[in-house]
Amino acid sequence: MVELHQVVAAIYLAAGVGALLGVVLPAPRMARGAVWGLALGAVVHAIAFASLHRADPTPSLTDLPAALSLTAWLGNVFLLLLMWRLRVTGLAAIAGPVSFLAVFTAALRLPDSAASAVAAELGAGSSPHAHVLLGSAGLALLGLAGMAGLFFLIEHRRLKAKRPLTRSLRLPSLEALDRVNASALAVGFPILTLGVITGMLWLQEAMGTLWSGSAHETWSAVAWGIYAGLAAARFAGHQGARQAAASAVAGSAFLIFAVVGVGLLA
Amino acid sequence: MKILLLGMNHRTAPLEVREAYAVQEPGPPLRKLVESDEIDEGVLISTCNRVELVVTTRQPEAARLRMRRFFGQEIGAGRAAEDPSLDDFLYDVSDHQAMGHVLRVASSIDSMVVGEPQILGQLKDAYRAAVECGACGPVLSRLFQHAFSTAKRVRNETRIAERPVSVARVAVDLTRQIFEDLRDKRALLIGAGDMIEAALDALQRDGLGSVLVANRTRSRAEALAEQFGATPHALDEVGELLAGVDVVLSCIGGDQPLLSADQVRGALRARRSRPLFLIDLGVPRNIDPAVNELDNAFLYDIDDLQDVAAANVEERRRETLRAEDIVREEEQRFDGWLVALQAVPTIQHLRSRAEAIRSAELERALRRLELDETQREELEKLTRSIVNKLLHAPLSRLRADTDREEGLAMLEAARALFALDDPDAPGADADADGELMAEAAPGDAGRDDHGE
Repeated sequence: MVELHQVVAAIYLAAGVGALLGVVLPAPRMARGAVWGLALGAVVHAIAFASLHRADPTPSLTDLPAALSLTAWLGNVFLLLLMWRLRVTGLAAIAGPVSFLAVFTAALRLPDSAASAVAAELGAGSSPHAHVLLGSAGLALLGLAGMAGLFFLIEHRRLKAKRPLTRSLRLPSLEALDRVNASALAVGFPILTLGVITGMLWLQEAMGTLWSGSAHETWSAVAWGIYAGLAAARFAGHQGARQAAASAVAGSAFLIFAVVGVGLLA
Repeated sequence: MKILLLGMNHRTAPLEVREAYAVQEPGPPLRKLVESDEIDEGVLISTCNRVELVVTTRQPEAARLRMRRFFGQEIGAGRAAEDPSLDDFLYDVSDHQAMGHVLRVASSIDSMVVGEPQILGQLKDAYRAAVECGACGPVLSRLFQHAFSTAKRVRNETRIAERPVSVARVAVDLTRQIFEDLRDKRALLIGAGDMIEAALDALQRDGLGSVLVANRTRSRAEALAEQFGATPHALDEVGELLAGVDVVLSCIGGDQPLLSADQVRGALRARRSRPLFLIDLGVPRNIDPAVNELDNAFLYDIDDLQDVAAANVEERRRETLRAEDIVREEEQRFDGWLVALQAVPTIQHLRSRAEAIRSAELERALRRLELDETQREELEKLTRSIVNKLLHAPLSRLRADTDREEGLAMLEAARALFALDDPDAPGADADADGELMAEAAPGDAGRDDHGE
């Protein structure tokens, strides 16, 4: 099980390196190959998840390593779906290394993720799994928005500076990156909201309260509030593409810290 | 057999000379050329930047004179039959250099604009014309097929043709960096001019959705609109039109900028900050340079586009070094084939000589021995097997694709060691029996001698 996660991490790393070289050299064939690598990684990743059930003890989805791995898998699936419609293969240059880090960390921690500690403490049921699934999906989508935002800012700056496009990065078009950003926010924010709601329901079922005041809850609530503001600004038309990109980068960085960073620190 | 090439190109001859020697229909003059004894095969390449004749011959000196006459008398339309200055414009290369030149031309390394894709199509047309008129034989066929595959390799393995080098294509490339899909995009053409029309044409070929045209005079706007399938507008409508377009191409006269930063800012607000790409080809500039400071507005003037184009030219020049390596590799490969081709007569010669000796010695032995039919057949098989086994290694070595110098040295050694040029050597009588097939291509001859 852990070995399979290590294989997945290696595939993501190879795909990420290929995609980076594809963007930097630039080498379109290598970039396309990296996308196939990412797809292969997603398939093996799905198999690795399926095999978690056979592990003894079975790690719970509510444990951070498994949730982290799930987020990486969902992120890649979403990205591959976007690549099907838009020419954004360059995003694999960030998605590959980020997925590698997530899955590698998960693989290191999965053996210690002893017999559903959190689930045992807080009870079982559908809410914990719904919370993790929705939270991971929201995190993955908003992470994608951040990646697209980062590339948007780089490309925007380069086009503004009128630097020759030769011998430099070959990134997706600004419009494609902005569409990824907008769609990921449009789908990701409601899913994240549902993730927050199911988390509160989980708490209600386990502890009889909607708010326990833990660091995870506090930081997640702040991150949700920030995203609510960003989504409002974006879809009310108060934000241009560049500001939206900058907001997506800052927002996703904060969200990742709030959910993953705080979890890891805890 | 030698490969010769005689020609002129953009580096050796000015346009008026090249156009005087350009050939629209290469078939008839080529047919006439290969009918002469000196020329075996020929291909005539005629484009706006070069006129080149490639031939194969077994009489190089006579062929050179014939080729010069071909240029002087048969294709120099409108020029004196024997133009004394013609030699100043012509270059003449042979064998390895000629072959390398054809590979370079096909790979677009020798083109005026390095990496331009048209030359490969023009070369294919020239080859097709030569094949159709029966002027192209096995050697030039192989050379040109090899040139086409070399060009494909160069295109796939280098970035020689990757970046645009014309202002129009640079504009399109930048547009594609901003917009994902041009089909739902609208362009506004302000004014007119060759460069701006070329850019618009390139954008339309890339799928640009629709075009609006604005001009000082309504009639000119209508004429341009008809030319580009666009909607005509008056110049004073530009401010209002700006919010509804994605690309602005401007090239109109005037001392003051036609579009101010404030106007563009207002348009961007109305566009809900969707990006706007402005290409200003006017001199003096038509659009306030401060527009580039606005978020989501990208302004490129003629100098910016030319800077990008110049950088791309430099990039292509760097890539030619890598392309040259590929061409050199392919040259060697073709050279190996050519040496193997030249080995065919020697191989045939050696085999016929060996067979003649075997037959003669067997005949003599059979006369002395009293053998029945089965024993005779066994002896026949035995001698044949001995000859085949003895010849197998040297023939395989001669047939192997090697580099030119080594291959030719090997051929020379074989002829000397087996005394193939000695008319008094045993078995030499068979040489006159017409068994040698000098024209056979490698791979066609001697393949059956592996059997034991």
